[in-house]
Amino acid sequence: MPLVELYDIRKTYRVGDQEIAALDGVTLSIEAGEFLAIIGPSGSGKSTLMHLLGCLDTPTSGRLVIDGVDISRASNDALSAMRNSKIGFVFQSFNLLPKFDVLRNVELPMVYAGVAAKVRRERAMEAIERVGLMNRLHNTPLQLSGGQCQRVAIARAIVNNPKIVFADEPTGNLDSHTGEAILTLFRELAASGRTIVIVTHDNTIAARLPRRIEMRDGRIRLGVEAQVSNTAPLAPIAKEGA
Amino acid sequence: MNFWFGLLIGLKEIGAHKFRSFLTMLGIILGVASLLAMFALTEGIAQGMRERLAASGGVERVEVTYKDPSEEMQDLAFLSPGRTLADVNALRKGAPLVDLVSPQMDMVNVAISRSNKTLRLNVSGVCPEFLDIGKFELEAGRMICQADLDNVSRVVVIGAGVADELWPDNPEYIPLGEVIRINGIPYRIVGMFGFAESDYSKRKREAGISAAQEERRMRRGGKKKVKATKYDPYWQKNHAVVIPISALFFDFRTAANADASANRKIDRLSLRISDLSLFEETLYQVRSVLTRTHRGIDDFGFETREEWFDSIESSVRATRLSGSFIAGISLLVGGIGITNIMLASITERIREIGVRRAIGARQRDIFTQIVVESGVIGFIGGLLGLAAATGMIQLLILISPTENAPIITFPAVMISFGFAVGIGVLSGLYPAWKASTLDPIEALRYG
Ligand SMILES: Nc1ncnc2c1ncn2[C@@H]1O[C@H](COP(=O)(O)OP(=O)(O)O)[C@@H](O)[C@H]1O
Ligand SMILES: [Mg+2]
Repeated sequence: MPLVELYDIRKTYRVGDQEIAALDGVTLSIEAGEFLAIIGPSGSGKSTLMHLLGCLDTPTSGRLVIDGVDISRASNDALSAMRNSKIGFVFQSFNLLPKFDVLRNVELPMVYAGVAAKVRRERAMEAIERVGLMNRLHNTPLQLSGGQCQRVAIARAIVNNPKIVFADEPTGNLDSHTGEAILTLFRELAASGRTIVIVTHDNTIAARLPRRIEMRDGRIRLGVEAQVSNTAPLAPIAKEGA
Repeated sequence: MNFWFGLLIGLKEIGAHKFRSFLTMLGIILGVASLLAMFALTEGIAQGMRERLAASGGVERVEVTYKDPSEEMQDLAFLSPGRTLADVNALRKGAPLVDLVSPQMDMVNVAISRSNKTLRLNVSGVCPEFLDIGKFELEAGRMICQADLDNVSRVVVIGAGVADELWPDNPEYIPLGEVIRINGIPYRIVGMFGFAESDYSKRKREAGISAAQEERRMRRGGKKKVKATKYDPYWQKNHAVVIPISALFFDFRTAANADASANRKIDRLSLRISDLSLFEETLYQVRSVLTRTHRGIDDFGFETREEWFDSIESSVRATRLSGSFIAGISLLVGGIGITNIMLASITERIREIGVRRAIGARQRDIFTQIVVESGVIGFIGGLLGLAAATGMIQLLILISPTENAPIITFPAVMISFGFAVGIGVLSGLYPAWKASTLDPIEALRYG
């Protein structure tokens, strides 16, 4: 059984009396251990899809099952529990708590998981070590560079040992060199067996990943794998979204 | 997430905005302070009243008062001799449940003089029972005795205050054997009552710093007569001048109604009940005796201390209620202030809330966090309010000194403090609900 299954997922937003179909019938399955790239132009529905996958939102219609849990009907608390323990989410804009230092930011998911303080500290240290920030334990996000912030966010995403990590344009706010380093980090995580889904604008990044899915107007373009590298120009850097 | 974590966040948040939090707490602080101060003041007043009640004879004392006879007896009212010494004798014989019977004849504004000094005081003609029923204590000499009554002796027992004022140059002087003139008639002082004061001033005096004593000293020290500016509930007691009831009758009541000595009208008739558990039975006994002596005319009633006591309690309750109402408004305003600040604070933290939700905080975790935070504001505000209350009480004592020292009781502290925490928690409910129902995505996109 696939780790993630989507069947005819739709997400419609109402703006005034206009209906916007951000997702217009997405069917997809992701196996455990996959390292998947989602590409597509700005406004094509990538973030909307990621939010559904990350249990941050629920679809208007369709079926979404993650690790055996039917997300399309799950309660609010069940979604919280999914986000907390089965899913790690990395945002383009890091979304760290500016008042907390690195250690406390990474500890936070475990606080909501009810992990004892001592264990919390140990596991947070492990995760921080993994992203190479042991020398920054007590800095706050404001004292860190963008790349370092994203590392903290990744540490936070993996600290509860989730089955799958979703990253929505994690390199979007970083220069290409730093972005490359972040991508390497994801690659390492994937190599150690974690399922990872990453949204990217960067064609060269996507091209190096084993599986790519291209989105267009709220749908998945079929037969993308071969076409990705020679598809018509993808916007190099899009600032909106996330 | 547990409560302690929420508490920690709350404290941090408050610590990060100390001044703002303090301003927010101000309403709560003032509310709690006024609530507790009000409790303390009314408790002090109630306590003082209870003390005075006990000092003036306690609940076991009952006054037989005059009342207009009922409608159907109005025409026959002349048959009744009213309250007389005959009642006293009848009660002593016929009402065994009554422990003491004390009749009293009063004269108001009588000239009490000694050499060139004249005071204007009330004089009472009494029986020996007056001492016990009125809870007087003798400091020196003796009380009016039966022989004085029988012999119609011109003897007088005075309160300590009278001695102070008649012998202002000689503090601590006990004027036994001295002669004073009552409306010109010489009476010999045979006894002096002890100085009566509240437990509070007694405690203060025993501690060595006594306003009352100081005042007394000053009075005795020959300075100009100090008119006590504050109300002294013991003034009457300390300015008692009592003589045998027979002497008062013969010296000061005209011989016109001296026809039958047993029919001497009295102005007060006080009883002491021997067993409080037989209160109603005693009154019944008294009623039947008096109905006989009053020839069936119901021109008397009872004034029990219980009623007085009840009226004290109910007036204290009323004061407490109106005080609570005002303090409650202050607390309400404080609560609205907290709600307002919490709303502003969650608006500031919408992104933070989004982040917390995104990494797995449940709605109720966010809810708890906000409620705990406003509860903590209430808690700290409550503590500061308690501190402010003690200050406020000191200030009140300074501004208007009173015999009734405010009393801070444990339940009053708990109620005031509980209110503060409760208001804090309540004011957080709406902001907490708003914060917890934020959509995570919207929240993350905010700002
Ligand atoms: N909250 C929303 N309300 C209305 N329209 C939305 C909302 N979120 C996304 N959309 C619309 O849905 C479409 C897909 O957006 P998004 O998933 O952010 O695209 P991408 O991440 O691929 O750039 C866009 O047309 C966007 O305007
Ligand atoms: Mg996007």
